[in-house]
Amino acid sequence: MHPRHAALVAFCDGESGAAGNRRIARHLTKCTCCQEQLGLIRNEKDELSAAATSLHTDSAAGLAEVLSAMAAWRDGRSNGAASELRRRLRGRIELYCGAAAVSLVERPGMRADELLGKTSQVLEVFLGPMAAEAVRDEVLGGLNWAAPDGEMG
Amino acid sequence: MMARKSSFEGIESAPRWILLFLGASLLVHLFVLYLWNAAGQIFSIQGSSDSTGALSVTGMAAVNLWLCLLVLRTFPAGAPLRATWMLMTAAAAAATVAGLLAQLLGTEVSPIEQVRIATLVAGGPLRLALLSAALLTVLRTLRKFGFWVRPTAADWAVSAIVGLFAVCRFVEAAAANHPLSFEDGASLAELPILCVLSLEAMLLRQAVGRMGSGLIARVWMALVGGVLLTVAGEFALWVIPHFEHALPHAMFATLIRLPIAAAFALVPACQLAAQRCAVQPPAAQPEDLPSGVPALAR
Repeated sequence: MHPRHAALVAFCDGESGAAGNRRIARHLTKCTCCQEQLGLIRNEKDELSAAATSLHTDSAAGLAEVLSAMAAWRDGRSNGAASELRRRLRGRIELYCGAAAVSLVERPGMRADELLGKTSQVLEVFLGPMAAEAVRDEVLGGLNWAAPDGEMG
Repeated sequence: MMARKSSFEGIESAPRWILLFLGASLLVHLFVLYLWNAAGQIFSIQGSSDSTGALSVTGMAAVNLWLCLLVLRTFPAGAPLRATWMLMTAAAAAATVAGLLAQLLGTEVSPIEQVRIATLVAGGPLRLALLSAALLTVLRTLRKFGFWVRPTAADWAVSAIVGLFAVCRFVEAAAANHPLSFEDGASLAELPILCVLSLEAMLLRQAVGRMGSGLIARVWMALVGGVLLTVAGEFALWVIPHFEHALPHAMFATLIRLPIAAAFALVPACQLAAQRCAVQPPAAQPEDLPSGVPALAR
């Protein structure tokens, strides 16, 4: 009695169990028909495996490419916004405190969100919270800029 | 034309109005002084200028008080500069009350002695002590933000000159044959506070100088100006009678005290101008128009 096709597939995948493996292996030594069928199953399996590997490689490369493009787009956008934010903040510091105050408020290597925080703090102390909030709103107005998590009060 | 008109509208134009009033008053006083001198000093201008001059000084102090109250409202409890503005408001209130009581009761003879004494203390040492405390709080805040400088030789020199002036006044008072009046006592009590105040003002001048010439810097430079004018005014009011007896001293006192009162009134006025500049809608600031336009539209 020939084993069923599903049983041959399970045998090929090593999922027939110990008793099933022994039984099918004993049958295959005598049956050329089942040997041929097992050969076909293995060929199909190899083809599918090769196709799946090829598909996986292409997807990974494509995904990486898409992610890279997205990051470049986001970095470019955020760098532009941060640069514009810095420019506006410097202008506000110069207007309210004075030109010399810019170098005192903005430390070297300070991020845009840090400069925003420091400027807001200075203006809140010297102008009051309402005026400082108005300046902050004005500075951020029309700017597609989002502060990193935990930076904005 | 419209820009000029709008620049004199609203509370933000208070500094301009104060300067305009000061300029007009000084011109009138100088013109009267010129007429008096040209007429050969044949008429007395002492009586009329005494009351009107003091009234304008008191009026300026009242304006200062009103503006200080407006500023104080914008600093909630816990704000670092609230204490400063409370002290500034108290100093302005002391000057206003002293000026009003002096107008109502007269300076020479008052029916209520305690009120006269309170007037002299409030308008003199108390006001200066409040200003000194206010300056101290501002200096502390400026130090916190890195706008701090060490006293230079010039700062110490100014303070030493004021100290020398105080010593001269004390020596003169001690050498006087007549007993000290309460007015003289109150005036002498101001001198040590003026020494401290002048040093604080010089430090504030330097600290604010590190900022630049922004709207906030103007506020504190006006306070520095007020303090230094007070010192210079005290010195002038002491020196002039020693050399010139014919001059109308009440008018001179007004010529000196009105700019001092105006300088102190400029402090809250400049603060309000800076605050109004900040809360103005973006539409009122055409130079920032592009920032409000979406990126796509640009």
